[in-house]
Amino acid sequence: MSGLKRIVAVAANTFRETVRERVLYNLVFFAVLMTASSLLLGNLSIRQDEKIVKDLGLASMDIFGTFIALFIGVGLISKEIERRSLYPLLAKPLTRSEFLLGKFAGLCFTLFVNIGLMSIGLIVTLLATHHRADPALLKAIYPIFLGLILVVAVALFFSSVASSSLLATLWTIAVVVAGRFSDVIRNMRQVSEVPDWLVTALYWAVPNFRNFDVKNAVVYGDPVPVVALAWMTAYAIVYSAVLLGAARLAFGSRDLH
Amino acid sequence: MNVSSSTPTPALSFAHLSKSYAVGFLARQRRAALTDLTFDVARGEVFGYLGANGSGKTTTIKTLMGLVFADSGEARVLGLPLADPAWKARVGYLPEQPYFYDYLTPREYLDYVGRLFGLSPSVRTERANALIEEVGLQDSRDVAVRRFSKGMAQRLGLAQALLNDPELVVLDEPMSGLDPIGRSLVRGVILRLKREGRTVFFSTHILPDAETLCDRVALLREGRLVKVGRLDEILERDDRNLLEVLVSGGDLAGIPEASRTGRMGERATLQVTEPELLATLEALKRGGSRVLSVQPIRQSLEDYFMKEMGKGGGGPA
Repeated sequence: MSGLKRIVAVAANTFRETVRERVLYNLVFFAVLMTASSLLLGNLSIRQDEKIVKDLGLASMDIFGTFIALFIGVGLISKEIERRSLYPLLAKPLTRSEFLLGKFAGLCFTLFVNIGLMSIGLIVTLLATHHRADPALLKAIYPIFLGLILVVAVALFFSSVASSSLLATLWTIAVVVAGRFSDVIRNMRQVSEVPDWLVTALYWAVPNFRNFDVKNAVVYGDPVPVVALAWMTAYAIVYSAVLLGAARLAFGSRDLH
Repeated sequence: MNVSSSTPTPALSFAHLSKSYAVGFLARQRRAALTDLTFDVARGEVFGYLGANGSGKTTTIKTLMGLVFADSGEARVLGLPLADPAWKARVGYLPEQPYFYDYLTPREYLDYVGRLFGLSPSVRTERANALIEEVGLQDSRDVAVRRFSKGMAQRLGLAQALLNDPELVVLDEPMSGLDPIGRSLVRGVILRLKREGRTVFFSTHILPDAETLCDRVALLREGRLVKVGRLDEILERDDRNLLEVLVSGGDLAGIPEASRTGRMGERATLQVTEPELLATLEALKRGGSRVLSVQPIRQSLEDYFMKEMGKGGGGPA
């Protein structure tokens, strides 16, 4: 139980750090974007205008969230090591696993708050432009959040194994970009020089972020079955757990110079 | 807190502790940072851990605190193996050149640390306030650490090391970066801890501080223990009987060249051993010199340190 309290303490501090470091300032851009879109799109037909606001809102949540998850995530551990701010903390009754989990949970909470506030912004924009607050939007927002959790797990993993924040950033960007364009990896089979087994291994090793993209389906009113959402949840949980486990192994035995 | 000093288990014990780091291209070579380190620190003593830069002081402390892992050997803290986390609640640690989250104020940082120790909110607040006063940060308690000087960060470091009311305090270069007032403050804290029966283990290369504070010291050179013992034992062993004679005028021809250690105008200083003193005084009388003073020379820790470091051809930078 006390372990959980320590994880919550680290998470709370991580959340406070992101707030104090002005990470949530992206919300200002989001607000400006939403306001501008609602003002500029007034001339379009009713359905068009609603779709564009929803599209913009969901895409912004995804993009801003990914940037935060990636760039804050890679610093979660490596920055602490470089600045030596974790030295006094690890000498306290705080295990390295608790520290990792606390950092992970803290950034996920930041993303949750961020996405929550953006969702409210999107709903307000829809209402302001005389549309209804479509509850089906949640079916697109929830997978976006799952995808962001997975980005944090990837970033945290590289943050724990890389010797510098820069390397961690480069690797994380590579994996996130590859995961967002996983079809490209699959199509590499057509390039004769690349062995099939390598393409298959790469395709399965890199998390497939396209699984979480149901934005178009929701905007165009297509159904998103609950079973699909359950699968996404399981995928995100299992993949994140594996990455956190690997991060724990690497970080747990690492000398902190 | 009731600290028992009669417990036979040492506060710290090292047994054949060795640590090396990978160096070179593709980390194919290893450089020894600590070699076969074996010594104990008794409960209730103030123990100075001395050595030049790069001699392995910080590596020893990091190994204790679980920040790096030993290759071989064992260390125990308050009688417990390093792997047993139970000792962590009873120990305070100040890292070398500490860095704290610069977006927090001292009060917030200490509150965070208190939560990691599982202290209740009221105890956290009470102790944080008392320690902020003790380390002299009362005017900066609500100022973000990013505005702190190096010395102020060091003071906050000391406060966080004491928040859990520790039995053992491990300080890595606690005087570093401090002005004379700050150093005096740290000395005061160490003496307070000693009065309360706590154990203080601190590394330093500021030797006068070690000389003032320590019951015992260990001297480290290139990762190996050179000497460990009480200061009076270490310093008096070689030159207990050395005397300095200050004379004025006269002819010093009857005094061996080796004994003449300095000359300033009419005055000269001589260094002789106790058995040589009588003969020297007679020679001085014959030469017509006036003896101004005769006093025993007590070697300082700094002299000893320089001499010992010189034996190894100088420690690594």
